[in-house]
Amino acid sequence: MTNAFRLTNVSKRYEHFAMEKINLCLPEGEIMGLIGVNGAGKSTLLRILAGLSLADSGEVQVLGLQLPADQVEIKRQIGLASEDMRLYGSQTLRWHMDFMAKVYGSWDEAYATKLLRRFDLNENQPVASFSHGQRVKGLLLLNFARRPRLLLLDEPTTGLDPVARAEVLDALSDVLLDGARSVLFSSHNAHDIERLADTITFIHGGRLIANLDTESYLSAWRRVLGHGTLADEVTDWPEVAQVRRSGATTEITFKSYGIALNERLAAQGFEIDAIYPMSLEEIFITTIRGAAQQ
Amino acid sequence: MNAQLFLSQDGSQPMYRQIVERITTKVATREWVAGTALPSIRELAAANSVSVITVKRAYLELELAKVIVTQHGKGSFVGPSTDLPRQLMYGELRGYVAAALRCAAKLELSINDLKSMLDDQAAESRDETQQGNTE
Amino acid sequence: MKTQIELNVPVIRLLIAKDWKLFEKQLAAYVAAGIVALVLLGMAKKWTFYLGSLMLIVVLVAAACFAISSSLINERKQQTLAFVMSLPVSPLDFFLAKLLGNLATFGVPYLFLTLGTVAVILTTPIPDGLLVLSLLVLGHILLAYCISLSIAMAVESEGWNVFTMIGSMVLINPLIAAVNQMPSVANSLQGDIVVWSAWTVAILFAQVTLSLAVLVVTGWVHCRKKAFY
Repeated sequence: MTNAFRLTNVSKRYEHFAMEKINLCLPEGEIMGLIGVNGAGKSTLLRILAGLSLADSGEVQVLGLQLPADQVEIKRQIGLASEDMRLYGSQTLRWHMDFMAKVYGSWDEAYATKLLRRFDLNENQPVASFSHGQRVKGLLLLNFARRPRLLLLDEPTTGLDPVARAEVLDALSDVLLDGARSVLFSSHNAHDIERLADTITFIHGGRLIANLDTESYLSAWRRVLGHGTLADEVTDWPEVAQVRRSGATTEITFKSYGIALNERLAAQGFEIDAIYPMSLEEIFITTIRGAAQQ
Repeated sequence: MNAQLFLSQDGSQPMYRQIVERITTKVATREWVAGTALPSIRELAAANSVSVITVKRAYLELELAKVIVTQHGKGSFVGPSTDLPRQLMYGELRGYVAAALRCAAKLELSINDLKSMLDDQAAESRDETQQGNTE
Repeated sequence: MKTQIELNVPVIRLLIAKDWKLFEKQLAAYVAAGIVALVLLGMAKKWTFYLGSLMLIVVLVAAACFAISSSLINERKQQTLAFVMSLPVSPLDFFLAKLLGNLATFGVPYLFLTLGTVAVILTTPIPDGLLVLSLLVLGHILLAYCISLSIAMAVESEGWNVFTMIGSMVLINPLIAAVNQMPSVANSLQGDIVVWSAWTVAILFAQVTLSLAVLVVTGWVHCRKKAFY
């Protein structure tokens, strides 16, 4: 199987931020969610993949081609939409659409018209008079209607109202119909990513913390509430992510829960009151806190 | 065939389980009869805005439960199974157990408390049946 | 790495057309103002001559600054640069598109007004001897423009960009003063004969070559940048 992209030992250093030796790969046809707090390095990663920023070292491969050598061919086949990317305010969305149609042979005008209606955008309005949400949707439309093989979306849902967010996620799921198209999208909100992403990557402080498929996270993580005696060494168990106590109740968060753990806890004299599954949001927060404490 | 399954987003149940249940229901109610072709994995994923991997997992589970059969290269079809009501009820029972666990947690009962309650309840029902038989 | 240079000519052409389109209205205004200046100049009265020459310089300087601001500085400030760089272009494609785009947006009014000035000086009662000084002033504007363009491409800081634009253009004053001290210029200023000395030819030659050299160096630097957004 070919890869949508492959990063090998990629490093990038700025004055106040460093991304060290990133290894990450997205198989073709998959959707990857990139979750991290602001400043975690999401945008840096996306800019490197889009050829807007050169890695200091390491190898960057996109759609089987090399960056920066094949950047023109790569840029022809990928689509990038990011928060800090603006359109020409004095021109209308229509002007931008015509421009894109001239640049990219893959432009699909019928699909663009469909998206205009779905996103509730006026193509004859100058972009400067667009609201934040309309601007984001306009930029996404320009990318979606080209049907790129790899979509790189930097926080596509940030700042959108719930209706607009649902529209964007719906339009994004059109990509799923085509097994040759892949998506990498970042968000600081796990909720947006949970449903659509095949794999989820946590990034923090320029490092990759975890990279798994969504169901694996959800089935591996459990929150266990109970009471009784519990040795401090439990914190060091490789399965344990976090232990918190409040009065007689103890909460243990497991990052790889298994039924055998119940007996090990019982052997300590710990009685389990309840076991809860966790949302991706909770898993993300616990993971990042754990990483920050190290 | 419509691939829209109207999945719930409240997070109370994993997406793949919801897909398994919706499809099982469609088959049990004969909306989808034996031999009907299922939507492709990607069609179903796109129509419901869920990931391909989630649908794959649901299909795999449906296959193991013999609700559907997958023919390599041709796609998935509703299986010739006759055992569906049992499958359905099994799924329902799992729901009750999960609900009992949640309720027990609120009452701060341990798993063992719950188990002994279950034993008591079983013994009670046994007694009732026996009494019924003697009469 | 590919050693062969491949240019994405269709996209370069589209980018030039885009910069032209964004500049169109202002371009027309500058050319119109330039024509007024030339008419004033051509009336050959003392006050219209001063007013016209001043206006001509102001129009050219404004057109230069506006072309650079709208195509480079604003692109960065309004974050449309990331949009352009995400199109299928290499840094060299981008550089050439901007260079050629600017040659169009600034070059058209510049060439038009330069030819207009030469024509007005040679055909109206204004002394033809003024030609040398005028061409040196126009040469200076070209050089100042090329330097400002290079700085705008290479340096992100708006402060430095404004400083370079204003600084290089203001140097027109000392240039005029210095050239006026030259005997060949000073003596022929009121006459109807165009007198080129070795010095004035050398200055004009230096202005044109330096302009070209600055652009080439900028292209070389630009292709070695590490971030393009």
